[in-house]
Amino acid sequence: MSPGPAAALLAALAAAALLAHRPATVAVIAAGLLVVAFRAPRARRRLYLLSVLVSCVSVVVITPFVESIGLHVLWSGPTIPVLGTLDVTTEELRNGVVQALRLGSVMLAFAVYALMLDHDRLVQSAGFARRSVLAVALATRLIPTLERDGRGLIEALRGRGLQPEGVRGHAALLSPLLAGSLERGLGLAEAMEARGFGRPGRTRVPRPAWRALDWLAIVGSVLIVLTGLLWL
Amino acid sequence: MALARAEGLTFAYPRAARPALDGVDLELEPGEVVLLLGRSGAGKSTLVRAFAGLVPHFHGGRFAGRVLVGGLDTRLTHPSALAGTVATVFQDPEDQVVMTRVAAEVAFGLENLGTPSGEILLRAHAALGAVGAEHLAGRYVAELSGGELQRVCLASALALEPELLLLDEPTSQLDPDGAEAFLDLAQRLARERGTAVLVSEQRPAAALERCDRVVTLGAFDPDGPPPVADPRSGGELVCAVEEASFAYGDLPALSGASLELRRGEVVALTGPNGSGKTTLAKLAAGLLEPSAGRVVREGRASFLVQDPGRYLVRERADEEVALGADAERAREVIAQVGLAGFEARHPRDLSSGERERLALATVLVTEPDLLVLDEPTRGIDPERKGELAGLLRAQASGRATLVVTHDRAFAAAVADREVSLGGAPALEAALA
Repeated sequence: MSPGPAAALLAALAAAALLAHRPATVAVIAAGLLVVAFRAPRARRRLYLLSVLVSCVSVVVITPFVESIGLHVLWSGPTIPVLGTLDVTTEELRNGVVQALRLGSVMLAFAVYALMLDHDRLVQSAGFARRSVLAVALATRLIPTLERDGRGLIEALRGRGLQPEGVRGHAALLSPLLAGSLERGLGLAEAMEARGFGRPGRTRVPRPAWRALDWLAIVGSVLIVLTGLLWL
Repeated sequence: MALARAEGLTFAYPRAARPALDGVDLELEPGEVVLLLGRSGAGKSTLVRAFAGLVPHFHGGRFAGRVLVGGLDTRLTHPSALAGTVATVFQDPEDQVVMTRVAAEVAFGLENLGTPSGEILLRAHAALGAVGAEHLAGRYVAELSGGELQRVCLASALALEPELLLLDEPTSQLDPDGAEAFLDLAQRLARERGTAVLVSEQRPAAALERCDRVVTLGAFDPDGPPPVADPRSGGELVCAVEEASFAYGDLPALSGASLELRRGEVVALTGPNGSGKTTLAKLAAGLLEPSAGRVVREGRASFLVQDPGRYLVRERADEEVALGADAERAREVIAQVGLAGFEARHPRDLSSGERERLALATVLVTEPDLLVLDEPTRGIDPERKGELAGLLRAQASGRATLVVTHDRAFAAAVADREVSLGGAPALEAALA
């Protein structure tokens, strides 16, 4: 499948997950995207899937404490000033799971986009808003680049006999990582300018014609969004 | 008639106390290779950027004088409009890659210049072929070694068929044979296509043999430090790597390598790109564990990674060094590496050469029994290399020192003996 229709399909699935009301529908979308994400190489998918897991679990855990719905109390805790009585109801828990699945679906759709789509072809095939498409492609690359820089930073510190420990130790690395990525971004911007980026009259590598599967994906994307909006 | 000309060029970066370039005059003729030499911070990279129009358009700052390229005044012409007439290969290949695959990366500039669609891939593959990298066309750039990436960056520049090719330390990550082949290609371009080539180098020996003219910015001694006059034999064994092998996933990086390092000696580890030097050095320092064989080590080991300036974590130079020791000792070591007076500076405000020296201080301060340095001379001028060699020699008696380097002159100046990893290139560098 060409990257353009594939990206449209992923965006449609993410939108459908946000629009759908039935937990089963959202769960099916999330499961489908998870299966596709597992086809990416293990080393590359690990960070994305870990992020999805942490985010989803956080939503499930936090939601019952920030919502106050339902009558079927599963657990009743202490009363805290301002927040009131902490309790967990079946309805709150169910809502937390649905919200987590929604978030997970969106994150998984992005993970599949980042891990499995050919971003070069996506940029080259962009008939309009190429700057925006390139900006998104470069931003997508930021995650693996940050991961690689993070590994390099930890290795450099180990070489000095230092070992970042715990959440606080690792959090302290965020600032130098961010500074490094800003430096890298400046270098990249300079190199792009030197190579004529932004000059009028650009051309592009000839792209292969879309096949039936690509058209099917485009039609399917529209249908998925409409179905999610109207019936699911 | 000159293809490019700088006339009385003076330039200061924003908020800089002094100009990076002061009254520079230079003419570049079609078909000539001009070697640009100067100490770290002399303004070589700035001059290269001035000919590309990036100075002042991209960087801002105070600009006086005039730079003409192909008859165009760079103050009045945007760098993207100069692209094609000018092509630049920057110092750090990792920071200039836009696309994810090699062929698309080389095609990027051609697309921007409006090359007819049918010609783009043909020219991209021809350029890759010219630098001996056609086999990399389908690879992800993230999987390439530094040397391979430098070839791809050169191919990206060559594909534009520029009249002026600017090379800013283009061989910093290449082994000596690779660097010579790279410079041969630049020379051939000048001879066959009439391209003017301006190349800035910190390992000038190979470039000196191939250039038509040498231009120096400021006082500069191109001779490296003299070779070690009195090679020592080592004392007690500090580290022994015995028949060690290592693979990154399924990709073998090192097979059955052995190495002994003794207190008091400095050993240079050399070999072609991808031969496993960094992997062996990391095994020796304990950053990796061998999949087969064993490593025996006595005492504390410290390892200075490649391009260590990227990995500084504190807001002040002295705090950075003091992470490994107390503040007083940190100040001593900062002075030893020639950075006295820089204690309060932010590490990222230092020049690349100064960052390298600060990073060296961060490992010296730990007073290791085994000191391992991976390509410590990248971006450092010959004079500073001499100082670094002197420093390592002066402190060598208390420890074993292993220096991974492509720099033959530096290896001869610092090492008591050389260990060379040869054979078929491994894939270590691709994954480092």
